[in-house]
Amino acid sequence: MQKERLTKLFETFDPAVRSIVLGVLDIEQEHISMEKPRVKEHIDEIVSAVAKKELERINGQEPA
Amino acid sequence: MKLERITIENFRQYYGKQRVDFAKEDQKRVTVIHGINGAGKTSFFLSINWCLYGKSFENVKVVDNVGELMSKEAVSRAVIGETVRTSVDLAFLHNGERYMVKRSLQGIKQEDGTVRLEENDNFTMMRTRADGQAERINNPIGTMNSILPVNVREYFLFDGEKIDNFAKPEAAAQVKQAIYLVLKLEILERSRRHLDTVATEYRKELKNKSGKELRDLLEQEEKARADIKKTKDRIYDLHQEKESAEGKVGDIDKRLREMENTNTLQQQRDRIERELKQRRTEMEEVVSTVRDLAVAGFFVVAEPAIKKAIQLLEEKRERGEIPSDYRQQFIKDLISKMVCVCGRPFMDGSEEHKALLAKITHGLPDALQDEVLNTCAVLHAFEQRTEKHRADLDAAMRRRAELVDIIRILEAELDDVSRQLKGSPLEEISKLERQRENFRADIQSNTLEIGSLHVRVDDFTKQIAELKKEIDRARKEEKREVLLSTKLDLAQKAADAIGEMYQTFADDMREKIQEKTKEIFKKLVWKESHFQDVKLGPEFNLEVIDRYGFSARPELSAGERQVLSLSFIMAMSRVSEEEAPLVMDTPFGRLSSHHRNAIAEHLPTLADQLVLFVTDEELRDEARQSLEPRIGAEYRLEFSPRTSCTEIVEVR
Repeated sequence: MQKERLTKLFETFDPAVRSIVLGVLDIEQEHISMEKPRVKEHIDEIVSAVAKKELERINGQEPA
Repeated sequence: MKLERITIENFRQYYGKQRVDFAKEDQKRVTVIHGINGAGKTSFFLSINWCLYGKSFENVKVVDNVGELMSKEAVSRAVIGETVRTSVDLAFLHNGERYMVKRSLQGIKQEDGTVRLEENDNFTMMRTRADGQAERINNPIGTMNSILPVNVREYFLFDGEKIDNFAKPEAAAQVKQAIYLVLKLEILERSRRHLDTVATEYRKELKNKSGKELRDLLEQEEKARADIKKTKDRIYDLHQEKESAEGKVGDIDKRLREMENTNTLQQQRDRIERELKQRRTEMEEVVSTVRDLAVAGFFVVAEPAIKKAIQLLEEKRERGEIPSDYRQQFIKDLISKMVCVCGRPFMDGSEEHKALLAKITHGLPDALQDEVLNTCAVLHAFEQRTEKHRADLDAAMRRRAELVDIIRILEAELDDVSRQLKGSPLEEISKLERQRENFRADIQSNTLEIGSLHVRVDDFTKQIAELKKEIDRARKEEKREVLLSTKLDLAQKAADAIGEMYQTFADDMREKIQEKTKEIFKKLVWKESHFQDVKLGPEFNLEVIDRYGFSARPELSAGERQVLSLSFIMAMSRVSEEEAPLVMDTPFGRLSSHHRNAIAEHLPTLADQLVLFVTDEELRDEARQSLEPRIGAEYRLEFSPRTSCTEIVEVR
């Protein structure tokens, strides 16, 4: 399937980046029939969620 | 997506409820629905499109220019005022889940025989969960876009006679769009573009913030805290020095008290100092009282205005423009009893009667009268309070002045005692007194400095409190800033990642489609030795190369163009590896028998599910024989000239 092919395409990238790419691809797929989809807020939600997790992960690794 | 079943009710010439089960097994994946021209093949094809997308879907026209959707037979049979309804139910499988979509439209039959339709059709989409329970899908548009987007559907559900478009010389844009949509290049491109936009916005937002602010504030707080500590240390030292000096003064006083020559003077000094202490305490209290009275005496400022207001009200009352102190009701009671306020009765028309009537005539409405009387009362209370306040303030000021005099006298007396002791002929006494005077000077100086240092500590404390608020705010900002910076980094990396992979992926897809189109085209076209190659260039021009190495596309016949288009569509379907049905309306209409046979032979292997709407002439002889082993379901559309309705008859 094309979706699996796209998932594979980004598997060498950093997991956080991959997670954003795949999340945004899903959102874009859901809005593909629209000429001017309003997806900015959805994308911001995806990026924010991944960024928060990323910061938690980085802070968790820091020495106490 | 694999179609399972469709139920059509009162849709165009399909009167009543009729059902078709689609073939979906791997070996028998072809459904053939045949009928003569006008029997209802296109209407059936239309019903699938209408059910999935409605008349239009997100501004894309799906069902256009086809007349009424509602069965005329159903309308004619309905009585006036009756609700007439058309509906299409479609069940399909997708990614292992079963979906059921239903679209219906209803209206009420009018006297003129037409139907007043409801404004919108009704669409529901259900999915069967793993536990067998059906759940309603709340985002059907998004779900349909994930299964088969409306703008992709035309490459899977299409009119066979119109599919030669991709093979026309001017079709590069259409070919490109088809590849972009079916192979999700469009999604990649949009994702990259939108992530880039979001990253740009993050960058702008980040530019307006600065981490320097928090660092500056923390430095300021650190400095203020260091200053406070330094000041408090100094206060402590000064207290120590002061206590030491006070101790020394106490020792000297004790010595002077013990000495016979100075005993009386020292006792006198002790008494004066006690009284001075008492008076100074009283002075502090009086100053505090004066301060309180001055702060609370704001209304004294309003005194001239209050006096003027009272004067105005009195003048108006005297002129009878506002009521007297008597309330209207009281005057009305006197008139009704015909009794004067002193208890004496009066006659109708008498002077007393006229005076009371005049008060009523010049009176105000009860509510307003109450307001006026209340205002007068409040203003008088203000006036009295102002007078009392002024008297209190005068008394406090007088006492303050008295205390200033008393303190001055007592200090003079102390100076006198000191002078006497300093002037003593005895060296020890004068020396002790000079020492005492020096210690007293130190105590005073220390007291003054301690006082001023306490003010500084208060200032620093206030400054730190303000800084803490600012630091809290800046910390929150900084947390947001760190998050924003991370978001920017990730969004940009994601956009760049797509950009990095996009061209490779697009080129790979283009090459795969080129190879697959060539493979299919060579299978389907009968002049396979003449057409040597199929090229899909970087500009997405679909090109056929002949044996001489020249472009053969301008010379392609209508049938060959149709075969090339079909090959391209099939190639996209195969390369995308999407499980999707191929629903074709009259696919063989313009094809000669060779092409028809070749397509009938190869098409079932190129699609996961095939639904063909054909005329009897389209599918016969060899073509029919080629397809035969793959046919899992077959229906015939029987149009009745008597009712103008079509019945779907199951053949197998």
